[in-house]
Amino acid sequence: MPNPTDSPRAPLPVRRVLACIALSLIAALALVWWPPAHAEDVDARTPESPYFHVHSDDPGLDALPLKATRVDVRIAGVIAAVTVTQHYRNEGQRPIEARYIFPGSTQSAVHAMTVHVGQRQIVAQIREKQRARLDYEGARREGKTAALLEQERPNVFSMNVANILPGDDVRVELQYSELIAPHDGMYRYVFPTVVGPRYRSPTAAAANGGFPATAHLQPGVESNVAFDLTVRLDAPLPVRAVRCDTHKLEALGLGTEHVQLALADDGVRDNRDFVLEYGLAGERTATGLMLYEAPPGPDAENFFLALVEPPKAVAPVQINPREYIFVVDISGSMHGYPLDTAKVLLRELIGGLRPSDSFNVVLFSGSSRVLAERSVPATQANIERALRTIDRAGGGGSTEIVPALRRVAALPKPADVSRTVIVVTDGYVAVENEVFQLVRRNLDQFNVFAFGIGSAVNRHLIEGLARAGQGEAFVVTRPERAAEQAQRLRRIIDTPVLTQLQARFTGLEVYDVEPAALPDVMAGRPVVLWGKWRGSSAGAKLVLQGHAADGSVADVVDAPMPDPDAVALKHLWARQRIARLGDDEALMGGQSQREPITALGLKYGLLTSYTSFIAIDQVVRSNQAATPVTQPLPLPQGVSALAVGAAPAQAVAAVVPTTPEPRWPWALALTLLLAIAAWWRRPSLG
Amino acid sequence: MALSHTLDCRPVRLGAPQWLALHALTLWPHGVYLVQRAGDGSDDPLGLVALLAALALVAAQHQRLRLTPHLGWLLVAAALALLANGAWWAGVPSLAGALIAVLSLACAALAWWPRGHPKAPLLGLLVLSLPWLATLQFYLGWPLRVLTAQLSAWALQVAGYVAERSGASMVVDGQLLIVDAPCSGVQMAWFAYFTACAGAAAADLADRRFAQRAALVGAVVLLGNVLRNSVLVALESRPVGLAPLWHEVIGLAVLAAVCSAVWLLMLRGSRRDA
Repeated sequence: MPNPTDSPRAPLPVRRVLACIALSLIAALALVWWPPAHAEDVDARTPESPYFHVHSDDPGLDALPLKATRVDVRIAGVIAAVTVTQHYRNEGQRPIEARYIFPGSTQSAVHAMTVHVGQRQIVAQIREKQRARLDYEGARREGKTAALLEQERPNVFSMNVANILPGDDVRVELQYSELIAPHDGMYRYVFPTVVGPRYRSPTAAAANGGFPATAHLQPGVESNVAFDLTVRLDAPLPVRAVRCDTHKLEALGLGTEHVQLALADDGVRDNRDFVLEYGLAGERTATGLMLYEAPPGPDAENFFLALVEPPKAVAPVQINPREYIFVVDISGSMHGYPLDTAKVLLRELIGGLRPSDSFNVVLFSGSSRVLAERSVPATQANIERALRTIDRAGGGGSTEIVPALRRVAALPKPADVSRTVIVVTDGYVAVENEVFQLVRRNLDQFNVFAFGIGSAVNRHLIEGLARAGQGEAFVVTRPERAAEQAQRLRRIIDTPVLTQLQARFTGLEVYDVEPAALPDVMAGRPVVLWGKWRGSSAGAKLVLQGHAADGSVADVVDAPMPDPDAVALKHLWARQRIARLGDDEALMGGQSQREPITALGLKYGLLTSYTSFIAIDQVVRSNQAATPVTQPLPLPQGVSALAVGAAPAQAVAAVVPTTPEPRWPWALALTLLLAIAAWWRRPSLG
Repeated sequence: MALSHTLDCRPVRLGAPQWLALHALTLWPHGVYLVQRAGDGSDDPLGLVALLAALALVAAQHQRLRLTPHLGWLLVAAALALLANGAWWAGVPSLAGALIAVLSLACAALAWWPRGHPKAPLLGLLVLSLPWLATLQFYLGWPLRVLTAQLSAWALQVAGYVAERSGASMVVDGQLLIVDAPCSGVQMAWFAYFTACAGAAAADLADRRFAQRAALVGAVVLLGNVLRNSVLVALESRPVGLAPLWHEVIGLAVLAAVCSAVWLLMLRGSRRDA
């Protein structure tokens, strides 16, 4: 019997060692033969959340291709025609593909885009979104210069410009129209300059659609983009009380019907909304009926716009008890100045409640917290307690607005109480549709007023919240304007609503009217009605009737002569209808309105969520893959790095509850006490 | 044969305290590390308490210490001291070097330890004197947090709550709560094992029994932490949340229960219990 220790073991390890060496050599040779692929920028994993731009030292790559943005605004009456020119230049040595996320007005109807490459001019076409994307990708691969403009949200657009060669100058010109409706006798024109970092909730429904990850400059780093803006006002009456809190202006022609305004700041201009307010002489507004008659043709369509101040209503004698629930965003993007502004606003709002009112406060970030399980009377003690709670909120963490609103909907509500929800946020979320859906589904329980706080708020969310909640939107850009906006809210709530409003035309055949049913009208807001008309407009009248506390009220507006230059009414009508279809889609979910929105976008040449503008230069200009470059955006003024997720752990812990163990000194004292007591009382050895 | 177990004559007339002090002095790089860690805020200074407890334990046995040290333990202590200082010189992670150093010190102490007296409490207390909490939080924190969150979620589901775990977070009745590092139970584990060492020393528990029950101490800690976490999560998920004071009160109550259970565990079946 052979001894196991005599078995030939030694050769085995040698063989294994040799096998390992052979495998290593093969691996080394394979590495030389097929070197590992170097990560290309184009293969880089696409980020999903806002992030900070990392400056590259590569001199061959121009990572900041957008050199200038110029905005030319012409406001004639109540219509603004805006031309935005983005100027891209590649100062590197490699071809690039520039991507730029930029904001727009929530009401803008983008109807034209032109691209200038050197001396060539390419007029963009409107296409179905997927097809435009495919065409763009094809042109990019073929080495053609191309530009694609897509809508990410009604107020956020993305511009992609492929194959900008070294030394190229590419100018992209967008044109849009917008209605400037007067509120409280004042007109307000807003041009947003920057998209704030949006929080992407991991639990958000897919129905919200994706939101592009935005690259941001670190706080304190100035944008390289030169920004300029001019406004020309042509009004039917002398312009008065021009006011711009956000930028310094140089003005020409003040007090006349034609005013020219230009930016006068030398400092940073593109990190906050441009907000211009003005009135007309005699505190009148340029309201009434406006008609556009298209040139004759088989597809000719005539459009109208009615912008009418509603008949005055009388305040009711008795006011039902009211309950106010303040929903306050204390997330990272609100940290610092925005939250300070919100606190000032809340002091004004809560401090102005009547003793008969009751209120509650919901603070939300990653999770939400309420002041009390049931609303409390607006006594001085409760108001002080609420203000102390708000004062303690530091700002930090994510922005889970949907669970917060769900919590509001779940709060117990007495049947005879009218509940008003006041949401205070910067709106830096990407779940707008989910929010609107939630509010609409709870309309029988509350109406919603939304306060946007900050220098560049997400107006799509703020205005959409108010529209969905049949309330009003407010934007507070500075703490010193908080009191004014709080008073405005109080005035709106105290002033009766004009209900069952009906518009009837006499002597004019109208169709495709938007909105189909007029909502209740609040104080200081005009009635806005869009539609098409046919036939003759001579002698036509618009009769507006509604019900107020003291009975029925009515107003009659005469139709003017059609204006052949008011072609913007066509785009604005289509934009209005698309917005309504978008609201329906948000309520129903999915892409239920895809077809009608696409059809409207294609027919009227408008940028929508399902149609994009594409311009392709037919000249093949490069055979080298363009390096994608995302133009970083400045952080909105007053927004801290916490908005991009640089939240210290303690900030997150402060807003999302945790269950920490007791502090060690207490735990140690307790353990030692127990140990000493037990030692003292230990049984003696037998 | 006696030479193989004990030194026949006391080395240079040094008593146990002086010998141990000199031995500790040879391990000075690790002492410096421990002092630095205790002062730099990177860990709670609980190790100092364990070290004081170990010293108290040695002091309590002062009258019963051997007159001549056990040669085998001394040799092991010397070898470990060389290894510890070599590790320091070679740049081995400081905590690993310090662990070898305290084991060396423990062996040196055990060389003088009364014959047949339980050794585990002294060894345990010296090991607990190291700055473990931050390291354990780093390496064990995540699995402990996930385990705690999952067990808490099940416990709350049984209690009728709508609770689910997502990573190391929980969503209870729609409220997001984080089971973060300070909730992992590592601190509770330190106090439980400290109590176990103190209890074993008080009860003169045999080393073999101590080793068997040390695993049970871990289970008691896990259960205690799950209970603490579940109660706090349930209270935090209310709309009004929970005041910080109640976190402390509930945490201390559960810790007291865990430490009492550990003490009883150590006492049961011990010589003193008998």
